[in-house]
Amino acid sequence: MQGNREMKRLFVGGLGQGISETDLQNQFGRFGEVSDVEIITRKDDQGNSQKVFAYVNIQITEADLKKCMSILNKTKWKGGTLQIQLAKESFLHRLAQEREDAKAKKEKSTTGNPTLLEKMGAVDFHMKAVPGTEVPGHKNWVVSKFGRVLPVLHLKNQQKHKIMKYDPSKYCHNIKKIPENLTETTPIAELTWELEGGNDPMSKKRRGEFSDFHIPPQKVKKVQKSNDPMESKVSNIGLRTNQVMEKNKSTHPVTAHGTAPSTVNPSKQLLVSSSGTQKPKHVVFHNSDFEIIWNKSSMSDDDVDSEDELKMMIAKEENREKPGHSSVNESEHDTFEVVRDDFKSNIHKLSSSVSLGNNHEYDSSDTDEIIAMKTKNAKVKNSAESSQPERTVSKKSSFQKIEPSNDCIKVQGINSNKESALCHGVKFVNPKFPPDSSGSDSEESEEDEEYKVLMENCPRVSLTLADLEQLAGSHRKFPGKDSETNGPQNDSHCKFDTTSKNPKTSGDLYNGRQQCILPEEIVASLLEDENTYSKQKSEEDILKPKFQAFKGIGCLYAKESVDKTLKENIAFNTGGGHHSSLKHEDHNRSLMENGSKCVNGSSSKLTSCQPAKKVNDPNHIQPPKRQCTFENQNHKVMSSTSCDKGSTNPLPGPLPLKAKTSLHLSANSHKVDSDGDACHWPESRKALEKERTNLSNLESLEKSSKVSPREDPQKSPAGFSLSDSNASCINAKDKQAEDNQKRLAALAAWQKAREVQKKLVHSALANLDGHPEDKKTHIVFASDNESETEETSTQEQSCPEKELMKESVSKSPGKLFDSSDDEDSDSKEDSTRFSIKPQFEGRAGQKLMDLQSQFGSDERFRMDSRFLESDSEDEKKELNEDKVNEDELAAEKKKTLNVVQSVLNINVNNPTNKGSVAAKKFKDIVHYDPTKHDHAIYERKQEDKEKESKATRKKKKEEAEKLPEVSQDMYYNIAADLKEIFQSMSNTDEKEEDVPRTEAGAREGTGKIRNAETLACEPEQTTGFTFSFFDSATKDEKDATYRIELVKHGKIVCPNDPRFQDSSSEEEDIAEEADHSKPSPGEAVPENEAIRFFFFSENDDRLRGSNLFWSGMGGSISRNSWEARTSSLLLECRKKHKEAKRKVKAN
Amino acid sequence: MRPLTEEETRVMFEKIAKYIGENLQLLVDRPDGTYCFRLHNDRVYYVSEMMLKLAANISGDKLVSLGTCFGKFTKTHKFRLHVTALDYLAPYAKYKVWVKPGAEQSFLYGNHVLKSGLGRITENTSQYQGVVVYSMADIPLGFGVAAKSTQDCRKVDPMAIVVFHQADIGEYVRHEETLT
Repeated sequence: MQGNREMKRLFVGGLGQGISETDLQNQFGRFGEVSDVEIITRKDDQGNSQKVFAYVNIQITEADLKKCMSILNKTKWKGGTLQIQLAKESFLHRLAQEREDAKAKKEKSTTGNPTLLEKMGAVDFHMKAVPGTEVPGHKNWVVSKFGRVLPVLHLKNQQKHKIMKYDPSKYCHNIKKIPENLTETTPIAELTWELEGGNDPMSKKRRGEFSDFHIPPQKVKKVQKSNDPMESKVSNIGLRTNQVMEKNKSTHPVTAHGTAPSTVNPSKQLLVSSSGTQKPKHVVFHNSDFEIIWNKSSMSDDDVDSEDELKMMIAKEENREKPGHSSVNESEHDTFEVVRDDFKSNIHKLSSSVSLGNNHEYDSSDTDEIIAMKTKNAKVKNSAESSQPERTVSKKSSFQKIEPSNDCIKVQGINSNKESALCHGVKFVNPKFPPDSSGSDSEESEEDEEYKVLMENCPRVSLTLADLEQLAGSHRKFPGKDSETNGPQNDSHCKFDTTSKNPKTSGDLYNGRQQCILPEEIVASLLEDENTYSKQKSEEDILKPKFQAFKGIGCLYAKESVDKTLKENIAFNTGGGHHSSLKHEDHNRSLMENGSKCVNGSSSKLTSCQPAKKVNDPNHIQPPKRQCTFENQNHKVMSSTSCDKGSTNPLPGPLPLKAKTSLHLSANSHKVDSDGDACHWPESRKALEKERTNLSNLESLEKSSKVSPREDPQKSPAGFSLSDSNASCINAKDKQAEDNQKRLAALAAWQKAREVQKKLVHSALANLDGHPEDKKTHIVFASDNESETEETSTQEQSCPEKELMKESVSKSPGKLFDSSDDEDSDSKEDSTRFSIKPQFEGRAGQKLMDLQSQFGSDERFRMDSRFLESDSEDEKKELNEDKVNEDELAAEKKKTLNVVQSVLNINVNNPTNKGSVAAKKFKDIVHYDPTKHDHAIYERKQEDKEKESKATRKKKKEEAEKLPEVSQDMYYNIAADLKEIFQSMSNTDEKEEDVPRTEAGAREGTGKIRNAETLACEPEQTTGFTFSFFDSATKDEKDATYRIELVKHGKIVCPNDPRFQDSSSEEEDIAEEADHSKPSPGEAVPENEAIRFFFFSENDDRLRGSNLFWSGMGGSISRNSWEARTSSLLLECRKKHKEAKRKVKAN
Repeated sequence: MRPLTEEETRVMFEKIAKYIGENLQLLVDRPDGTYCFRLHNDRVYYVSEMMLKLAANISGDKLVSLGTCFGKFTKTHKFRLHVTALDYLAPYAKYKVWVKPGAEQSFLYGNHVLKSGLGRITENTSQYQGVVVYSMADIPLGFGVAAKSTQDCRKVDPMAIVVFHQADIGEYVRHEETLT
């Protein structure tokens, strides 16, 4: 027993829900060793368990299994009928089994193979013998290496014609033993190998790395080449380009740097020397060019705000670039080290390196400006301001140092100078700072802090117009709080106040931050301010070259800020430059007039700010649509003008006028600017443009008027210049104005065209109105008054349209009556007109008429009787021929029919009588023609029968009921009228009429009368429609007879309808009873609903059944009677059934 | 172009009567006009009176066809029905055979109809009865001759021919040059 025990897997089905593994274990444990129980529950969608079954692994003998099956199978246990079957082994078991089998096989194959081979009678190719031993019993077979038996080959040598013997045992080494163990297969993943990466793009692509954006390197090169001549510039521009690229999210600023000429490096190396001593901290980034970008971005405070973001970007780009440009990085190492300093400085703001870095930035960016401005600075020095000399000195030194350049010490010096200069600027702006602090190093930290504040404020400024306005408001309200809140503003003022380039450039930078768009405007404004301090006109000449330099910068800025095409930018810049020059002239002039007041006091500015704001207000009103950048510009321009005003304020003389003019000028210049800008804006701004141009025009007019009366010698040239400027302004404006005028002209033209069109339409409509009347007259033309109408028509033609209208209107009524007068003659004419002309009479005439109709009313082809006469003979001949032909055909037909007859062996009774034949033959397909009398056969005659029968029945009923109210007089009176009216009308019309009648209160009476009328008329009525109409009418009048009628429909239908035939007799009775008892269902249905029927007319045949149904439902008496009769009916039915059965049986 | 002789008429009518039976009468004696048969180039045309008159103006050797060709007389003076007559005969057909969609194409290529392709057949069709073949969508496809009576069709094996092919609308494409 024990030995026979085997592992069996049993399927146990039909288990109850609450079964547990232990239950099963206990149950089956009696028969063997239960090793594993697995309960499975099948569930449906809702999660209710449908069936529960289990797999039981049991160590069991055959006998026990049988016993188990017999005992437990199909027994009820714990709420289920057990169903035990032998199951397949668990797949895990099977798997294990297979593995074991495989192992066993292996062992077997190694050991038992020879025997098997021997059994099969094959030669064992494996012999365990020393290689080289001959196989016994087989000639020329030897045991080779690894014990394999191989034949000795005799090969023919190719060259020597000699047969060689090839003994495999001697050349054993060409046999390789392949290891049998194939289990150690390499996974598929390892089968693929990676391509060793080169840095060339193809290999990168092969590796699936795609750099997502490539700026064509040539472009960058170009830019740099163009900037090459000035070394410092180069670096500056290189940085700028980097910034630009960053803006564009380009991933290849590296290329720019890589291609950047080596001249860039020295300047940067200077910084390295300066900065390298301070912070060697950020070596991590040393290989990345993005530090530069980072720094630049942080320096110029571009759109990107948080450093974290920048870091992320940099890290990304580093990762991206590292593989590609590892080789390039080495060469670029130096360049990036330069940036590292700045980077540090950015992070550690309070450290002096910050200022250094920043200053360096300014320096690099402004070098060209500085060089351009050199000559001017000398003049600037002469100005009476206290702070200016210091600045100029510093500038001078800076210039001197820059020109030799390339030495770290010098650069440092420059930096320090610039720092100081910056400090000056800042201090200058902020009245709280003492003016002496410019040269001192002790306050550097403070200045730096201040600077930081400024820096921090700048992005805020850039945010919105609202902020700016707020700032302006704060300016106005809290003049004392300049240092903090007005920092940026002060900064801008500082730009204007000081001619020093450093603050300017910083201002540029700030502006770059503040307004991403149109920085060249700011540059222009800066220039204006510079010019305010220069008193001589000669300066203007110097300034002009400057402009170009600024333009270049502006261009760069534009690149930074706006993602527009280069060309656009250039155009933009040139435009901006032009405007700026214009402005600048204006300002110069105004300053000359004012006697060139030094504008050092910021307090004065603040006071002046208020009028400026006032000026701003109208401007602000204009552009709700305008972008904040515009407004920023406005602010700046205004501020500058306010400065001017501030200067003018102390002047006692022509203050108001000048202020005004200055205001206007500023407004003007602003407008010019805005216009210039607006040129590039989309058309949506056109309205704004127009406003601006209008304003500017007005202002220019005002100016001209104001300027002319001035008598001062100083003012006269100013006036002249003003006029010049105005002219130039106007030139600029003219374009706009012209464009606007063109547009306006086009609009006007269009409007005119529209008006003309309108007029035309009007006239046409008027004609239309007139025409019908004309036509009437035309109809009259045929009559005697032809001449008159002709005259009128000529008159009308001569008259203008309005008169025509009037005439036609006036004439038309008269003519209407006239025509009535002429009616007799017309009628005569008509009678003659419609009489057939003699030439068209007869059959031939008809042909002629046909011919004529083909030609229409063409005079040339009018058919006369001549045609008729000439044709008549031929016609007759033809007729004869036709007759002959017809006869022939008829004969032929007869013949053929005879043949048919003979063929078909049937009698074709009346071949000539087509009608009868047709009627017979087309039984299935009859084209019903209601006009034909024959087709009356196909009409349904039910209605008639019904009506007749109904009429008779009604009569009977009428007699029975006898409505006493009916008076014969009324009946006769009304019947004549109403019948005519209502027969011609549709149901709906009738109902509409009904309502007023009911209102009149005569409803009941009329109803009754009509009822009587229907009774009288019904025999005469033949059509179903009229019947139904009257039916509906009676329905409305809640008449008893109506109900009777309605039911009678049913009655009559019943005999026709085979389905109802059995119960027809008693249905009738029921219906009749219903008539008496029914609470008038017809009344319950309101009239309006009845009107709404789309598909059914009232008392529609199709509805009859339902009507009947409802009528039957209504009566309780009918039900009672029905119930009473059911028994008798049933009896009858059974009787009939039996009879039928009997008959069937009998048959 | 001439009228048919009595013999010719008989032969032709016998043929047509196989398909439409006594409905032939309706073709000859039409209520909507006078129609007649004309022989031209051994072909029989079914022509309306009006068209006949018009065609009389054209010389015989130039006239290609007129009206509707019903069929042609062979050299042995038997009448062979053309598919062009289908439009006139199909409405009057007495015995019809519907072929399954699968067998439709086979029939239209000029093959006989096998039992496997037989979708439906008019009951009590006798052997060699002329039938009009329809598609299952009741589109007339051509003429045929019942190879087996309806009763035989039930017993016969599926590959046996049930309807002999006579003419089918595929001829409009296949015999474009000879159909007039």
